Amino acid sequence: MSESRLTDSKINSDLLAPVNKPGRGWYATVTVSALVVAAALGALVYQFSNGLGVWGINRPVFWALDITNFVFWIGISHAGTLISAILRVTGAEWRRPVTRCAEAITVFALMIGALFPIIHLGKPQLFYWMVPYPSERGLWPNFRSPLMWDFFAINTYLLGSIIYLYLPLIPDLALLRDKSSGLFRRLYGALSLGWRGTQLQWDRLERAVRVMAVIIIPVAVSVHTIVSWDFAMTIRPMWHSTMFGPYFVAGAIFSGIAALILAMAVIRRVFRLEAYLRPVHFNNLGLLLLTMSLIWFYFTFSEYLTSWYGNAPEEMSVFRSKISGPYASMFWASVICCFVIPAPILAIKRLRTIKGCMIASALVVIGMWLERFLIIVPTLVQPRLTFNWGAYRPTWVEITLTAGTFGYFVLLYALFTRLFPIIAVWEYKEGLPLGEHGEPTVVDLTDAELERA
Amino acid sequence: METQLLVFDTREEAVAALRELERDGVDASAITVMSSEPLHLEHDGSTAGAAGASRAKSRISGYGIAGGVIGATLAILLTVLTSKSVGIITGGMPIVSPWAFGIIVFEMCALGAILVTLGRMIYESGLLTRTTAESYDDAVSDGKIVVAVCLAEEGLGD
Repeated sequence: MSESRLTDSKINSDLLAPVNKPGRGWYATVTVSALVVAAALGALVYQFSNGLGVWGINRPVFWALDITNFVFWIGISHAGTLISAILRVTGAEWRRPVTRCAEAITVFALMIGALFPIIHLGKPQLFYWMVPYPSERGLWPNFRSPLMWDFFAINTYLLGSIIYLYLPLIPDLALLRDKSSGLFRRLYGALSLGWRGTQLQWDRLERAVRVMAVIIIPVAVSVHTIVSWDFAMTIRPMWHSTMFGPYFVAGAIFSGIAALILAMAVIRRVFRLEAYLRPVHFNNLGLLLLTMSLIWFYFTFSEYLTSWYGNAPEEMSVFRSKISGPYASMFWASVICCFVIPAPILAIKRLRTIKGCMIASALVVIGMWLERFLIIVPTLVQPRLTFNWGAYRPTWVEITLTAGTFGYFVLLYALFTRLFPIIAVWEYKEGLPLGEHGEPTVVDLTDAELERA
Repeated sequence: METQLLVFDTREEAVAALRELERDGVDASAITVMSSEPLHLEHDGSTAGAAGASRAKSRISGYGIAGGVIGATLAILLTVLTSKSVGIITGGMPIVSPWAFGIIVFEMCALGAILVTLGRMIYESGLLTRTTAESYDDAVSDGKIVVAVCLAEEGLGD
């Protein structure tokens, strides 16, 4: 139980501190992530000057780490908007300090994921050729292609997520406007659209956020279902599966929650937000992560058992390469990281601490990246006709680009926390149980009391 | 007409002042309550305080549905007209694929609903208008509750 009592000014100063005085941890994070991004940019320039031949891809593996990263980051994007929307729709009160951390993850993860199909084009400057419209260039926009579905789904989700992040940010932008001066005052003033906090504005904002939450849930589910159909709509071994949609969605939510827990733990530590991001939030998200770990294991088991039981030769070659062949070490590492270690940590209450949740989440993120790789590469390496089998080994360019995605994500996230409050100030104040400023608040309650509230 | 801003530290004080204004016969439409968080004053039975929220019935949900219909219609037009206009030779096979196109229609339906909801919310809440010193006080950001009363000059003295 905290001794301090929260007043409006204390909440403002605590939650705006990352914007006003980011601290040494923030500068260290930005410096390291910027260096990683610079290395990735160097690799990208090298690739653009020398062509896609500098990657390890070759016949029959035309997509490898780039589509692994694409699927992985689109999956991570399910951390935010979807989880935030579900928590809002269900009225989960503990969501309040969590939602913005989550929504920001979605936007940045989507931005990074959506880069990869463009990078992979070979001539990325012509990416706009993918935009479907009655063609003057004689191109035929094939609306039956899952890649075209991706184009619409990802763009809808990205735009929807940006708006869903922005709407509840408006009152906090007005707060920043009132607390800043000079150029920043003008910037926040423009972004806050003249918000005054009238009861009419609050009413309309809450309505709009509720409507958005309802719309965005099916969109989020559709996005990863469509990403899974990039694979499932082909007749490749171990891809052509009716359960790929839900399997991908479950995996996406799984990795998304893990990323959210990691982000929250870092934010809590770097910005000293222990009073706001409390053990109860990690406990609840840890339970969600445990649920998704069990669901992921169930889906994986069902998928692999069905392939094994069917015993189709082309399926079995891919199956064996994962279970006991060249990809076995990655496969078992993925199972260990996604289920064997995290499940007990998250299931045993004594281990489900902030540190326990962090360890489990870090393992899940690693395991899910491996899982995405294992879905894609072994099937591409071993197509149905054996004369066409090949091999794949990533080059330094692909590895640097992959590391760069993580650096870029951290950099974007860090810059976001420098410009905007990472915990929604007004939502947090609104959630104070007694609703009275200066009275006992969330911080004064024990975790058990908060859970009951 | 002149606007007077009254600043209160607590919700109770603001509600008491609103009741007083009501008793004095000040029209609810002349009162605007500003705060750093939603107050849901309708729960206090204050018609003046609640007036801000209920003055006009919200049509955000309805517009959201209409936005969805518009988005879906545009998607149908885009996919069907574009496919037909290319003139690809299909040997008599259909060029329009309702199941595959349905996915794009679904996404654009959602996009239409999202964009129209945002637009309607901005319109209904009177955003994108200039915040003037007469209509706003920075004290709102410090957690104060500001009540703006817009009255004819002779009424302000009372």
